[in-house]
Order: sequence, then structure tokens, then C-alpha cells
Amino acid sequence: MYGKKGSELVKELASSEPGQLSAFNNDLFSQVIEECTGHLLHLGPLIRKIEELKKVEERRKINKQELEESDKMALKANNSGALIHHLSLLRNKRCLMAYVYNRAEIIQSLGWTLERVLPEEIEEKLSSSEKEYFKNHGATLQSYMSELDIDLAVDMVPPKDPYIKVRVLDDIGNVVLSDQSANLARHAILFLRRTDAEQYISQGLMEELTS
Amino acid sequence: MANYYDIDDVLAEEEILPAVFQQAADGVGLLDSSDDTNKVGAGSKVELPFWLARDLHLRGVVSIDVPPYFKKISRTRKEIGADAAHVDLRSRCQYFYELGLKIAPLVGDKTIGPFLLVAFQTRYKEVLVKAHTAASAVAPKHLTLLTNEETKLYEAGQSSTAAFKKWRMGGPRLQKATVLGRKRKPIE
Repeated sequence: MYGKKGSELVKELASSEPGQLSAFNNDLFSQVIEECTGHLLHLGPLIRKIEELKKVEERRKINKQELEESDKMALKANNSGALIHHLSLLRNKRCLMAYVYNRAEIIQSLGWTLERVLPEEIEEKLSSSEKEYFKNHGATLQSYMSELDIDLAVDMVPPKDPYIKVRVLDDIGNVVLSDQSANLARHAILFLRRTDAEQYISQGLMEELTS
Repeated sequence: MANYYDIDDVLAEEEILPAVFQQAADGVGLLDSSDDTNKVGAGSKVELPFWLARDLHLRGVVSIDVPPYFKKISRTRKEIGADAAHVDLRSRCQYFYELGLKIAPLVGDKTIGPFLLVAFQTRYKEVLVKAHTAASAVAPKHLTLLTNEETKLYEAGQSSTAAFKKWRMGGPRLQKATVLGRKRKPIE
């Protein structure tokens, strides 16, 4: 059926949890593109036939004659055939664009939450151009922030207190923070500056404790 | 027109409609696999996805019919009239309302609009009540009856209840990036 593969691609996107990336479906993606090529191959001969018939019509017009009934039918049939292939092409294009676009939106949001560190399990899900996109998007953000001299990724949630209590979930090691140097060993419970802790929390290396 | 990149809109247009070809079409053998002449003759009945049927219909190549659940006299209409909240719309069409909105101006059936409205209004009340009261852990049975749109409303209702509770009780405000998944590393 026409456009079936394209919709499968979009369906895959719809069935994944919102905000989560699944692996880039190279296989299906190229199958849809193949289908597009197929449509184009069908479209070519049809257009040529239409043009031929149009020429015949022109010539007949000069002699004040109309096309023969069978030719008229053929012209219509070719027209609608070409239309179907054309619409299928547009449809497939829309499916492919929707797939890429919606993934790109998620990747953009990664740039805000993870900054430049892309964990392996996510990185392997991206296609090579998506990796490039992530890198460039991150670089753009960074250069904008350094121009403004503000870290925009900090305080995404309005703060209540400059210090928060956190538990370290993974061995991070000795880190120099803005006001102290701390040994961030696993299970350690610390009182840190919010701005220091925020990036670790969003990367999943710490969690905030509330009393 | 809805957003070009909108996933739901793309999928809603994939729904199948019955259609009859008014003109022959050449070079499209795949649509009607019963003969190998690579063409579809006038008068042949096919099932077309909405995105194809709409444009062909507007150009007079095919005439479309509404799917059985939008017919004037159908079981679905009777059931909605009786007790809208417990009709299984999901199995009929996941994009019931979206498709209805798209198809109504094409076929000129003026009863589809009010029918959709009544169905949505009665079902919406039920969905909202359930979303605010149901325990969140178990996936309730009635979720399988809802269309895509209604499921989203249900989830929105639940998440607002959860957010309200969280606001009242207080809790951690900073969270791990959602894209990393909910899994926590096993504690050794």
C-alpha cells in the first residue's frame, strides 16, 4: 500500500515515550526513500505520456478538431495516475520530515539538560547527522552563553535556597566547586551550592534530598 | 491546517476510507491488486488512506464514503446515543475526532459535527472524573476504550493531580534529565 512504510516510521515515533529517544531506524528510513524513488520512476513515463497527448491536442486545435474520445480518456487516466504518485511522494516526504524533525526537537532539549556530555546509551541511538546536530547545537548554546557571560542552563527551576542537600549516587572523585573542593564519593551526603549540584543532578549522578 | 510535523496529524490522515474511482488511473497497479494491467478502472471500489482520498476527491477522481462508524444509521451512533462513556471508540478509530473533523466538510454530512460534539462532551466528563480519582499505579480497564486524544486528556488530568499533590507535600525540585530514563543504577 502506498505510504504505508512512512506511516510505520511515524508510528514508531508516536509509540515511544514522550521525551525519550529510540534508535534511529535507518532500515525503514531508507526503505521509505526507496519507495519515493519507485514513485518517481512511475511518475516519469506518465508525465511523458501526458505531454505527448497534450501535443496531439495542440496540433488538433489548430485544425479545429478535438481529441479522439479514447485519447481524452487516456489523458485523464494518466493525469490521475500521475496525481496519485505525486501525492504519495508528498506524503512520504511529510512522514520523513516529521520523523527527523521530532527527533531533532528532543536532541535540542538534550543540549539544555546534558550540556556537552552525551551518554553512550543515547549516543548510539543517534544517526551521524544527528550527532553532528547535537554537537553544533551545543556549541551554539555555549558560545551564546559565553557571550552573555551567564550560564543559562542553571536554575531551570526557580531556586528557594542557595544551598541544597544532595546524595551522591556515583563515584565522581575530587572536584573543585565554586566555594570549596569536595570529595564526591558514592553515598556521600553533602550540602552544596545549588548551582554546583544542578548539572550533576540532571546527569543522574546525584539526587536532591528533602527533609 | 495543523502543524506539518505533527505526529498525530500525520497518523490521523493514515486512516482508511472506502472510495470509488470515478475516472480510470494509469500506472498505479498497487492499489488494486486483482488485475495486472497496472491500472485502476473507473467504478472500482478501493480502500484509500485519507491523505490520498482527500486530494483525489477534491479533484473529482474518486468519490469517498465515510467509514462505517460515521454513517448516519450505524451501531456506533446508537451506542453513543445510549451511553457514550462506555463505547469502545479506540477499536473503531484511534483518531475518531480528528478524522471526523477532517471528513465532515468533504462529504457534506451535517450531522457528523453535532454527533462528534455530543460524543466528546459526554465522554470528557467521565474521563476527567476518572483521571482525578483513579489510583495512578494500575492501568485502568477503561483506558482501552479511549481514543488517542482522550488518552492524552486522561494523562494530563493525572499529571496535574500528581503535580498538585507534589506541590502540597513538597519534594525534590531538581530532577534527572528525563531522557536518561527512570532507571537507577543498582546499589551494590
